[in-house]
This record gives sequence, structure tokens and C-alpha cells, in this order.
Amino acid sequence: MQVIVVGGGLVGSTLAAKLAGDGHDVTLVEQSRELIADLNERLDVQTICGNGATIPVLIKAGIENADLLLATTDSDEANMVVALVGSVIFKVQKVAARLRDPGHEGGFRRIAREPGEERVAINPDMAAVEKILSLMPVPGAVDVVSFFDGKLLIGGFHIKRGCEFAGLLLSHLGLLFPATPMLVVAIRRDGRWRVPFGDDEIRAGDLVYFAMDPGELDNVLVLLGLHRGEERRVMIAGATRIGVALARRLETNGVPVTLVDERRPVCDIAAAELSDTLVIHGSPTDRELLREEGAERVEGFVACTDRHEENVVSCLLAGKMGAAHTFALVDNAALSGLVGDLGIDAIISPRLLSVSLALHFARKGRIKSVAALLEDSVEVFEVEAVAGSRLVSSPLSEIGLPRGILIVAVQRDGRICIPGGDDRIEPGDQVIVAAAAEVAARLDDILET
Amino acid sequence: MNRRFVTYLLGWLLLLDCAFLGLPLLASLAFGESPEPWVAAMAVAGVIGLLLVRIRPPADRHIRPRDGFLVVSGAWIAASVVGAVPYLVTGVLGPADGFFEAVSGFTTTGSTVIADVTVIPRSLLLWRAMSQWLGGMGIILFTIAILPLLGIGGMQLFKAEVPGPVADKVRPRLAATARTLWMVYVGFTIAEWIALRLAGLSGFDALCHSFTTLATGGFSTRNTSVGEFGSATVEWIVIFFMLMAGINFVLHYRVLIGRGREVWRDSELRYFLGVVGVSTVVLFVTVHEDGARIGDSIRHAAFQTVSILTTTGYCTTDFERWATLPLLVLLCLMVLGGMSGSTGGGIKSLRALLAISSLRTTLHRLIHPHAVQPVKYGGTVVSESVLSGIWAFLTAYLMISLAGAGVVAAYGYDLLTSISAAMTAIGNVGPGLGEIGAYDNFAHFPGLVKVVLAGCMLFGRLEVFTILALFSREFWRH
Repeated sequence: MQVIVVGGGLVGSTLAAKLAGDGHDVTLVEQSRELIADLNERLDVQTICGNGATIPVLIKAGIENADLLLATTDSDEANMVVALVGSVIFKVQKVAARLRDPGHEGGFRRIAREPGEERVAINPDMAAVEKILSLMPVPGAVDVVSFFDGKLLIGGFHIKRGCEFAGLLLSHLGLLFPATPMLVVAIRRDGRWRVPFGDDEIRAGDLVYFAMDPGELDNVLVLLGLHRGEERRVMIAGATRIGVALARRLETNGVPVTLVDERRPVCDIAAAELSDTLVIHGSPTDRELLREEGAERVEGFVACTDRHEENVVSCLLAGKMGAAHTFALVDNAALSGLVGDLGIDAIISPRLLSVSLALHFARKGRIKSVAALLEDSVEVFEVEAVAGSRLVSSPLSEIGLPRGILIVAVQRDGRICIPGGDDRIEPGDQVIVAAAAEVAARLDDILET
Repeated sequence: MNRRFVTYLLGWLLLLDCAFLGLPLLASLAFGESPEPWVAAMAVAGVIGLLLVRIRPPADRHIRPRDGFLVVSGAWIAASVVGAVPYLVTGVLGPADGFFEAVSGFTTTGSTVIADVTVIPRSLLLWRAMSQWLGGMGIILFTIAILPLLGIGGMQLFKAEVPGPVADKVRPRLAATARTLWMVYVGFTIAEWIALRLAGLSGFDALCHSFTTLATGGFSTRNTSVGEFGSATVEWIVIFFMLMAGINFVLHYRVLIGRGREVWRDSELRYFLGVVGVSTVVLFVTVHEDGARIGDSIRHAAFQTVSILTTTGYCTTDFERWATLPLLVLLCLMVLGGMSGSTGGGIKSLRALLAISSLRTTLHRLIHPHAVQPVKYGGTVVSESVLSGIWAFLTAYLMISLAGAGVVAAYGYDLLTSISAAMTAIGNVGPGLGEIGAYDNFAHFPGLVKVVLAGCMLFGRLEVFTILALFSREFWRH
């Protein structure tokens, strides 16, 4: 596939690297000369220096033959122009634009498109809001994805020393906790991850992804040694676009929200926009203020100011005071690498989320990938089992699935089950499959007749 | 201060008064009554008006805030003085009484010093009703609507006269806004006239009551008010139109142009109707006696609630005989009054609503000292200056009421009479409690009390500040 990425920032360069890794021909357009030189060194992509929102530069980047165009600069307006030029003038089939302002996003969606054309707006801020909202009901989770209309849940949790799972063999899970059906989908250890087999072991310090029935969540949380907060209240530090949007969503769900910001004018605007949220003027790192407003009893503490170091500090502070569940907005790769083990439940990176969304859009092919876990290294697919394919030929243990591919769950007649080695899959079943990105291509062999 | 333009405008307003007096003049001829009082009043208004207009034609037509206050206050006082002339010339009333009756008319109060209204000339009854109708929507607003040539483009005059804390333009141009509001007003008046005619009232009674209902005035052509017709249908019609008059006319306009859905979401309207509902129920429960028909009790409760809340002041029953609790409810309704932008008086629903929100916010701030919590109305933030304006208004309202009550009490009247007299005057309601109840009148008050109460009425109708500004030393500087 011929891919053009406009914008060489964190989002653009990460995307370019991943897509090049997938085997596509990538051209990266960037205005800054220094950045271009650096990217040229690091990435296996073609780089062009120039303003990507102009037609000559896009032609030079090969837009006339491009299959995919990704507009990822920091400016909404520039991205809008790039995407429109690409789809309206050059009829590029797949176009994605990163747009942060919901007003721009709405306008972008309303522009008419021809049949077969795919065009998406990717909003990093709203993606962050959605992410936090999905994590909120699952304390301690770093990642949560749900399938089959919410009837199956995959959540990633850090294994603490002394919790029930530490030191267990995966094959013993079912024997030890027969009342709580669950499956380990992926494990990350020492910065490397794997789709596990039965002989793998869970160790303290691992990041483990469990698949489970949402009804079993509370039992699993007990086993993990996690607890819910005393109050349903959520405290948000930073009345940024993300903070206000999150507060509004929580408000409509009936969750009480406290929003803290130290900039008075920003507080005024937020208070005017929100209806039930308690807006507090003060510093989110002021211990006395947090105590006064009951941070020690909140269910969730979300730090989403524009200063990401401060987000880490206020999350640590709130976590230490007793907030059940802390989220920090951190877009800086070095910083998020450092704070991973400090006790903040989830690090949210809008940039990486938009990378993830764009990648998802780019990879969307014949088999529908529904989610990506572990920084896009594990893809999760939802497929229908076809008669005559290898998948339905014999019990799961005898199919000979390659390492890195795992059958997570099966939906048959509206009922969900997590299959064992002796179970069979029948034609017509809906199947959730997890696959490591590098073996995902081999899924076809198993699924096709 | 632009004195020349102020006097010029006052001249035009007097000429307008002179024109209004033409209608009772025609009526007096038609009824075969003496035209003398009308000719006299028209002569006074016409001569002074012409003098002011001709002597000082202004070059500069710019109105500053203080000019606005002066024009509006001056216009209302002048109209009242001219309006009192017919009462004097016919010999029905003396000077203090005449002024009281005229002010009570223009301010849509409806308190009367005429013991028996059935014996005075019918043209005079028409003038009483008409003065309320003119005062209801506002003399100034009428002037803006029909005399755009005067060059009044600014909001200064509009703001000084429109009831409520915030004056809205419904149309881009002020003159168009004024015309629109007047059209709605006239439309409702005609509708009520037709409804009352169909219910069996004479054309004259229907006209007078339509005038005084839409203005939320309350002057009647009968001594015992609307109750004297003895018709439940008439009473329900009057209840409906009083309610309409107590609602913001901007909302009526929105319904007319097909934006009724957003009207229903208006929180002031909901609050207003809520007060009507709750008070009706309370009055019904406390007033209903065994043996009385339930339908009658409901109607009496609804009628008195709406009549007092919208500050109309009609009566269908002698509420003086009621127990203390229902009387207290009526006293509260007198203070609350209609919606902002309606023809009703009182402190207005919007002010009450915002004061309550502001109070809630203040309490909230005690618990969360760092909270940023603006007072909101209809989803938008109400600025601090509007809020402090409301608190200042309530303070001034209370102080003027107490001062008025003090003057009444100084003449030896009882507590209930004193307080309700001041409240009914500043709220532009009409009847009070005690010695000035539903079937009583104000004739027994001494002259000074009448003048003070007339002053309270003007304060109330012009939203306190317009007149209060004249008493500020800063106003007369430069």
C-alpha cells in the first residue's frame, strides 16, 4: 500500500514507523528541516520537506497513486486542508485527519463522500475521554476493551506482590478458581509481551490481560487485591478540553464530579459550561485543598492538565491520600516509561491513542480487527467460524494454532463461553481471537476454507 | 444632562396624553354626559405639551442614562397629574384623592378611593380602565412604538420602564420590538373582550374589564369587583387572561412565531406556574368549608391566587374573612408578583428565582470555599452585576415598603393594614388586608398617606431604581 503521512511529530513518526514495519511504502511530509533530517536517519521511509497542505508538495509525495493519507500535524486547519485536498481532488481511498476541535470534527464528517471512499476524523482528546470512561468502572485496570455488546471484557492489570495470581501456572487457573471463569490473553514482562500458553507462569510485576464475563469482575478484583472507592465521586484535575469533556460525560451518567483548576478564567468557563460539576479554583497539587474536597474518598482521580509532569505528581499525591483509581495524562514517552511502576493505575496518552486509532483504520482489512492491546502489539479480531475451515475441524488443542494466536471466547446462540482445549468450535459461532501483530497475517490459514 | 431634549420629549408625551383623552371625550358625548372634564384635561395636556415642544426644539438628540430616568419618571408623573384632572373637574374627588386614583390607574395598581363606582359618569369609568391599559404595557413603550420620529433608538428609556431585571429586544430594532409587544397586548385584549361578550357581559363592562385584566390593573365597573357578575364562566375567563398578562410577553411572541417548544423550557415560566399551582392548592385546602361546593372553592382559590400573584387585584370573594394562613399566602403573592416582561408588578418571578439560586450558591460556597459556582439561568451564567442589582433591588423594595408602612402606621392604623397597604401599593396589586380588604376602599386614609402610597406605586411600577436614581446626589451633579 502507498501511504502518505503528513506531519512528522510524535503521532506522524510513530505511525510511519509502524506502517513501514507492516510492509507498506511510506512517504512522510514534514515542514521542519531539522525534524526531517532526524526522521530520515531513524525511519525506513521516504521523507519530503515542505508544507503538506499545498498541492505541489502532495504531488511530489506521490498523492496521485496513494492508497492511504494520514494528516497528523498539530494544526486542525492544516489537517482539514490536507484531508480535503486528498479526498476531493485526488480521490484517495482512505483518508484520516487528526482533528482536536469537536467543531471541526463535525464539519469534516458532513462533507459528502463518494461510495467506497473512507474518511475518518481522529480526535485524540475525545479518544482519551473514551479511554478514561472505559477504564473508570474497572479499578486498577490499565486497559479495558469490551466485546459482544459488553458481554465479554478484556482488562489489563498489574500483578502485585502477594496477590492470589502471583506465581501461578496458567494451566492451574481453572482448577484453583472454578467459580470464576477467566482466560489470560496476553502477558507483558520486562518490557516484552507474549500471547501465553498453558505452561506460562504469572509473576508479580507482570502486566496481565484477562478475558472474563463482566459479572465476574468484582471476584477477579478481589483476587487481584484491588478495591473500589468509598464514594462514586470522580475528581478531575485540569479544566482542559479533555477535563471538561470528561466531566460532562460523567455528569450525564449521573456520576458526581469535582473539577479542579488553578486558572480562574478557565474555571469560570468550565463552570458556565457544566451543570452539576463542582468546579474548584485551586492547585491540583495542593494537598490541603485535595483533602478539603475529599480526594481521599474518590473513586477516580484523573489528572489531565497541560503540564504532564504535574499530572504525575498530583496522581501520586491523590493515590497516596487514598483515591481508589488514578489516571494521568502523559504524552511524553520518556516520562510514561518512568512512571509506569509508581502506582498510577493508567497512563493515558492522547497521541498514542490517536496513533492506535489511525493504525486501526489503516490496517482495517478483510478480517475485522476490533481492538489493539499492549501498544498495538496484540490485535484482537472478531470473526465468524466458517464450515470447512481448520478452526472447526477438531477440538482446539488439536488444531495446531501457531504460537501467538489464542482463541479467547466463543458466542453461540447468544451465550458466551471461554473455551478450553477440549472444546470444539462449530460453524456459525462468533469467535474472539487474539493474535500477536507479527503472526496476525497467518490467521487467514486457520479461518479460511 | 440633555435638558432640552428631556423637556421636548415630555412635551410630546403630554400631547400623546391629550390624544388619549379623546376617547373618553367621545364616550361622554355618546353616553350623553358632560364633556367638560375631558375638554379641561385635554386643554391642560395640550397647552403645556405644545409649549414644551415648540419652545425648546433640541439639536442634540442623544439620551444618556440619567436623561432616560428623568424622562420616564417625568412622563409618569405628568400623565398622572393630567389623568387626575377629570376626577377633579367632575367633582367626584378632591386633589389628593384624584392624584391617588390617577396614579393607581397608570401604575396598574387598582386601589380606589371611590366608594361607589356605580354613581360616577361612565366616561370616567372608561378613563380609569383605559389609564390602566396604557400604563400596563407602558406609556414610554407606546411612544417608542408609534413615534419613531422622536429618534429614540437607545435602550435607555426601554430599560427604565420594562418590568424585570433584564430588558430583552425580541426584534433587531427597538421600535419594532415595542410594536411587537403592543400588538400581542392588543391581541389579547381583543380576545378577552370577545370571550367576555360571549359570556354575557355588556360591551362596556367587557371593554373595561379587558383593559384592566391585561394590564393586571384591577379597576372594576362594580363595587364588589368581578364577583358581582356571579358567573363562573366570566371568572374562569378572567383567570385565564390574568394568567396570560402575568406571563412575559416575549414568551407570547415566541409562541406566536412558532417557537413554543423553547417557551416551555423557560425556567421562570415553570417557576411562575408552580407558584400558581401550589398557592391554589394551599388556599383551597385552608379556605374550603364543609357544605361549600368544591368547584366554587377551587375557583375562588384559583381566582384569588392568580389575581393577587399577577397583581391584578380583582376579587370574587371577601377574603378578609379568611384565616391567617391564607392571608399570609396572599401577602407573599403580593410581594412575588408576575414574570419579568409581563404587565404584573411585585418583585417579579425572575428576581425571586435568581435570588434563591444566588442564596443556594452562597450556602454552597460556605461548604466549598474554593468552589467556582456561578448562578445560572436557562443554562447561561448570570453576571455578578445583575445579581448585585437584584439584591440592591430587593433591599430598596423592602426599605420603601417599610417606610410606606411606617407612614400608614403613624396615623394609627393596625399592623396588618399598614403593612398590606404598603405592599399592595409598591406591588401594584390593588386591595390590601385589614381595613383596605377586598370590599373596602382607600377613601378613609388621610391625604398624606394617599400621596405616600401613590409614591410607592410609582416606585413599584418603574422598578424602584428609575425613581430612586432621582434621589441620588450624583444624579444632579454636572
